[in-house]
Amino acid sequence: MDALEALDEMNRLLDITDGETVNTSMRLPLALRDAAALAVSQFGAAPSTTTMTADALRQAVETLVMETALRLHYEQHPAAKPTLSEIALALAAQDGSPLADRPDLIARAADAVAARRPDADADDVLLWVEAQLAVVA
Amino acid sequence: MRSIVLDNEAVQALTNPRNPKHRAVVAHLAGAAARRRRGRVVEAVVPTAVRVEAAWDRAAPSAAAINRFPVRDHTLDSAAADVAAQIQRATSTGVADAHIGATVRSLSSTEVVVLTSDPADIAAVCAPAQATIVNV
Repeated sequence: MDALEALDEMNRLLDITDGETVNTSMRLPLALRDAAALAVSQFGAAPSTTTMTADALRQAVETLVMETALRLHYEQHPAAKPTLSEIALALAAQDGSPLADRPDLIARAADAVAARRPDADADDVLLWVEAQLAVVA
Repeated sequence: MRSIVLDNEAVQALTNPRNPKHRAVVAHLAGAAARRRRGRVVEAVVPTAVRVEAAWDRAAPSAAAINRFPVRDHTLDSAAADVAAQIQRATSTGVADAHIGATVRSLSSTEVVVLTSDPADIAAVCAPAQATIVNV
């Protein structure tokens, strides 16, 4: 099974919502299990530790699928890869932020942030712009 | 939780890497992935009537690429059809846009974003539900 086939199969499995469950032989550190049980019973973190575990696992797997789909897409279509600035601008628009109307600020911030933190993400860029604006206000 | 709803134009742009809006729509998905890395729950949703309008057949070999992006179907079931019919009657929009409105009204997400090329029509079908409408 190559990467594309694996991704297709993961998407197919994640789309199944029939509710069928299985007892697994997955081994959890005992202390982690007990900490999760307290998070559920004392702080209402989730309806149950099973739900908490399944939700966290789904979040992790779905994120991996999304990131992998994008990475494979960029490999096939390099021109489709958005810049850090473009991603930050998209998030500003999704957030309904007035920064969505200031692509010039976001572009400059993306350059500045990336120069200092090569692994920065789009939220780092938006935070940088907001901080800069707050300083000069 | 944030749900990002795609309209026909957004789907068309996502499907075709040569579409001039392709990179912009991909940027929205990349932003969603970045937020998920930070622990936020963000999903992409396509109303099935939009898939019909955009000719997105998940079973077709030509759809293999777009199928890899995790975009969840919001089906036009009986309840959604009733709501969409009410929206269509009130706004005289097309079936796909009416289904977008029904989708937005039914989502339990705390934040709903619609990617569209027609903000005015989408605002009409979504009201009175709260949604951030992003022009792509």
